[in-house]
Parts: sequence; structure tokens; C-alpha cells
Amino acid sequence: MTQKDLEPAIEVEGLRKVYHRLVAVEEVSFTMYRGEAFGFLGPNGAGKSTVVKILTGLVAPTQGKIRVLGQPLNHIETRRRVGYLPELPNFHRWLQAGEFLEFHGHLYGLRGADLAKRVREVLELVGLSGREKQRLGTFSKGMMQRIGLAQAVINRPDLLLLDELVSGLDPVGQRDMRDLLRHLKSEGISIFLNSHQLADVEALCDRVAIINKGQILKVGAPNTLFDEPLTIEVRVDHVSDQLLHRLGLVSLAVQQDESQPCRLLVEVQRDEDAADVATTIQECGARLYALSPHQRSLEQLFLQTIDASRR
Amino acid sequence: MGLLFMTRFTLKEAIRRRLFFAVIIMSTLILVVFAIVLTVAVNMLLPNVRAGAFPSNIVLLGSGIFITVLSIWLVYILSSILTIVLAVGMISNEIEAGTFAVIVPKPLRRIEIVLGKWLGYALLLGIYTALLYLAFQLIIYWKTGYWPEQSISALGSLELSVFALLGLATAGSAFFHTIVNGAIALMLFISAPIVSIVQFIVRLAVPTQSTTMENISTIVNLVIPTDALWHATSYFLLPSPALLTAVNISSQSFDTPFTSAVPVSPNFILWVLFYAIILPLVAVWRFQRRDL
Repeated sequence: MTQKDLEPAIEVEGLRKVYHRLVAVEEVSFTMYRGEAFGFLGPNGAGKSTVVKILTGLVAPTQGKIRVLGQPLNHIETRRRVGYLPELPNFHRWLQAGEFLEFHGHLYGLRGADLAKRVREVLELVGLSGREKQRLGTFSKGMMQRIGLAQAVINRPDLLLLDELVSGLDPVGQRDMRDLLRHLKSEGISIFLNSHQLADVEALCDRVAIINKGQILKVGAPNTLFDEPLTIEVRVDHVSDQLLHRLGLVSLAVQQDESQPCRLLVEVQRDEDAADVATTIQECGARLYALSPHQRSLEQLFLQTIDASRR
Repeated sequence: MGLLFMTRFTLKEAIRRRLFFAVIIMSTLILVVFAIVLTVAVNMLLPNVRAGAFPSNIVLLGSGIFITVLSIWLVYILSSILTIVLAVGMISNEIEAGTFAVIVPKPLRRIEIVLGKWLGYALLLGIYTALLYLAFQLIIYWKTGYWPEQSISALGSLELSVFALLGLATAGSAFFHTIVNGAIALMLFISAPIVSIVQFIVRLAVPTQSTTMENISTIVNLVIPTDALWHATSYFLLPSPALLTAVNISSQSFDTPFTSAVPVSPNFILWVLFYAIILPLVAVWRFQRRDL
């Protein structure tokens, strides 16, 4: 299925936000599709949270067109299909966990037995079963994140907006949250993840947008965003001139290791080009022992993109 | 529906907060102490006046009038302070704490949030004021036999004063931080009686040149009508002129900076009604445009 076949979950076009004289977001445009996990990356102060707050209706845009699940921002009925968890959430601490979820479920329009059932389900989902009667004031930071996520999914949302989900969580809590998000994604929930926790984004997101100084720098699947070529390490039984020549035609550059002549470093533009390299080796009669792309991390991509924008 | 749900949530929150329980307990204690003191005072007063020039029931009635004005002034002060303490952070507290961040994105209009909270506080403060007022009146009636003829009007203007202050605190909480709003509300609340005192002194000292002072007082009462409404309440607490004459009290005795011997104008009551309604709507207008 191509992106064109997918229905947009979020459409942002020419978004601009000015706080007094401070331009927080400038000409931001991107589309997030239904069913995908979309990472929104940027350093502190890049304008990420402003965009999320605009998407949730907490902040009004100065300019631009925004549609969420096909509707304008302030469409009340659409909000029933959206869940949101802010960064470092703070809730009414005098409420018990069960009361808190009932309150938010009620705001989403859930009532009676359906609400009670859903409260039990989401408490179990976030690992807080049996804590219904515990006051939120006694919750740890990790438990607050979990109960916050529970309120965000109590309405069985089509779109989940998450702002820095794992900030302040210990490693176990972070892993649990990642697993939970994968589970939610597998259920078809579209997830917009605003984060600078690159490991989380890399593990979960299909596509990312990188933002800095209020402007989008790149949008797309991480492996398509690299400016630098992908290096593939190849080991074969023998290297012929024909092989080097043919490999040169399907790649950007080929380098033979002087100390290990059967080891080649082949540079290609895209991950998919590795298949052409394998086919070429086979066609030239060489036996392929190993073909391993040098992993390019999201962190590399992020840092390179941010550094380039600063120059 | 969202509005009433927010009202219910606000009432629940207010009841769960220790502050509200403290107020209930302290108010009950005040009433108990008041009843004891009044009983002791009446028991001490009666044997001494039986030999005097007035019958004891007249003395009791006269005492009842003064005690009524004083005790309902206490109700006015307690209700006003409770209104300021509870309502100055109605919106700003939630913004500052970040609790609105998960409520505002829900399928709920901002107008429902503000008016729902306002209605919750209005019910709470209105009921508290009425109960405290009636409790004091009943104790006074029990011990002295005095019950103001215009008791309902007195309660009405007292409630109007609470709603005016609530409107002011609500609007302020949509514009300012809680502490700033609290300072503004408190200073305005205190400034009005000070202007009344100054006006009274000027009227006594230079009765022919008090027009300017009266104009200033009028403006202040339009900006913060609580003191003028207290004066209206005090007027409604007085008995009819005939009864006042019977107990040998001049209605002019109540023409002081703290009480009034003349009724407030209907136009002023209309202004206060407008004031109490428009200020929460100003809060709505501001909150709808505010970035959170």
C-alpha cells in the first residue's frame, strides 16, 4: 500500500505561530497518514511542543491550515476520536485513579457499564490493575505517565498524540511504554510521537519529521532521509575485474580492501539497492559469503540534519 | 451537558478539598460560639433591664436589631473572603498546574469549562452564604425574637454581593496569575469600605462640598459593588420605622460608613446583576482566546 492510498490523519499546511514577537513555528507543512506512527523530532526549543499544542487545540495557530482526521481543528466530534498525553502530565491529585479515568471517559461521552468496563480495560493495559482506589497524589512519576496514557486511550482513539512520552521514566518504564505503544500501533491506532528520545522514535515510527527553529527540515521514512550514501560490506569467494566493473554500474562507488581482497565496500544511495548488488555478484559467477549494510542510525540522521541547518 | 458535568466536578473538587471542610468546621464553631455568647449575654441583660424604663421584650428587640446587623456583617465578610480564596484561581490555577492540558483537548467547548466551573462555585458559595445567614438569623430569633421584615431582600443583596465578587474573581482568573488576581480582588474589596469611611468623614466635616467625594464613591461602587451591597443588606435588616421608634432607635443611627438607613437604587441593583453576569462572560471570551 502506498502513501497515496492512505487517508491523512493529520494535515498541516503553512502553519505559523507567533507568540507576541517570537516566531515559534514558521511555514510548517507535513502530512501524517492513518495507521502510521509518525515521529516528530527536534532539539529543545525547536517548536515541537507548540505544534502538538496547536494540534490539540491548546494553542491557536497564527496562520495555516490544519485538519485532524479530515476535519478542522475545532471540530468537537473529531476530538472524541483523538487521545492526547502531554509532557510531564499533571492531573487532579485528589482524584482516585478510577475516578480520574471515569472523569475523562465521561468527557469523551462514555457512560454506564461501557465506561466501567473501559476503565478496567485501560487500567489493565497500562499495568495499573488494582489501583482504582489509589489517589493520584500518591502515584510515582512512572505511574502518572501510565495513568496519563490510560486517559488518552480510554476513548479507543483513532489518533494518539504523545508529547515526550518517556521523559522522566526509568529504563524499565521506558521499555514498558515502548511495548505498549507497539501494541497500540498494532491495533491500528495512528500515533504522533513528539520526542527527542531517538531510540523510541526509531523503534516505533514509520516516518519522521525533523524540525528546528520552528521549521521542518525533513519529512519521510528514516532510511530515505539520509543525504550520505549507504555503505554495504560485501565478502565473496573471488573478485574479478568484471565484478568490479558491473558493481560500479549499480552503485555509487566500489572499494576493494587491500588487506582482504575478497572484501568490498560498496556505496549505494538506498537500502533497496543492496538487492542489485547481490544480483550482480551472482550474475558475475562469484559466491556471496556476506552482505551487510553499515547501519545508519536515526541519531546520525538527526544530528546531521540539525548540524546542517545551523551552518 | 459538558457544562453541568464540569459543575458537578467542581463541586466534587471543592468538597474534597480540605479548605472547604475547614470552612464548614470553622463556620459551625463560630455559630456555636455565637449561640453560647448570645445566650449568656441575654441571660445577663434581662435581669438588669427589668427594673429599667423599657420592658424586657423591647430591650431584647433593640438588641436583636444591632446583633442582626453585626452578625450578618460577619456572614458578609466570611462569604466574601471564601469567594476570593476559592475563586481567584478558578481558571489560572488549572492553567498553572497544567491540569487543563488534558481537559481542554477533550470534546468540550471552552465556554462549558468556564461556565461549568463558575456555576459550581456560584452554587457552593450561594448555598454556604444562605445557610450561614439563616443559621445566624435563627439563633438571633431564638434568643431575642427579632426577625427582619425584609429578610429575603437582605439575603438577596448578600447573595448578589457574593456573585459580584465571584464574577470579578472569575474574570481576573482568566487574565492574571492566581496570586495577582487574589491581590487585585482583595484590594478592591477592601478599598470600597475605605472610600465609604472617607466619604462619611467628608460629609460630616464639610457637608456642602461632598459632591466630589460622592462621585468618587459612586465610581468605586460601580467598579466593586460589594460594599454598596452590604449597605443595602444592612438596610433590609432593619425593622420598619414604626418599630424602630417603638424601641427608641432612630433610623439615622444606622447611617454610618458600615451600614445604611436608606435603600439602594433599583438602577444600582440592575447594574450589579449586569456586572455579575457579564464578568464570567468576559472570562469566557478571554479563555477562548488564550493559549494554554
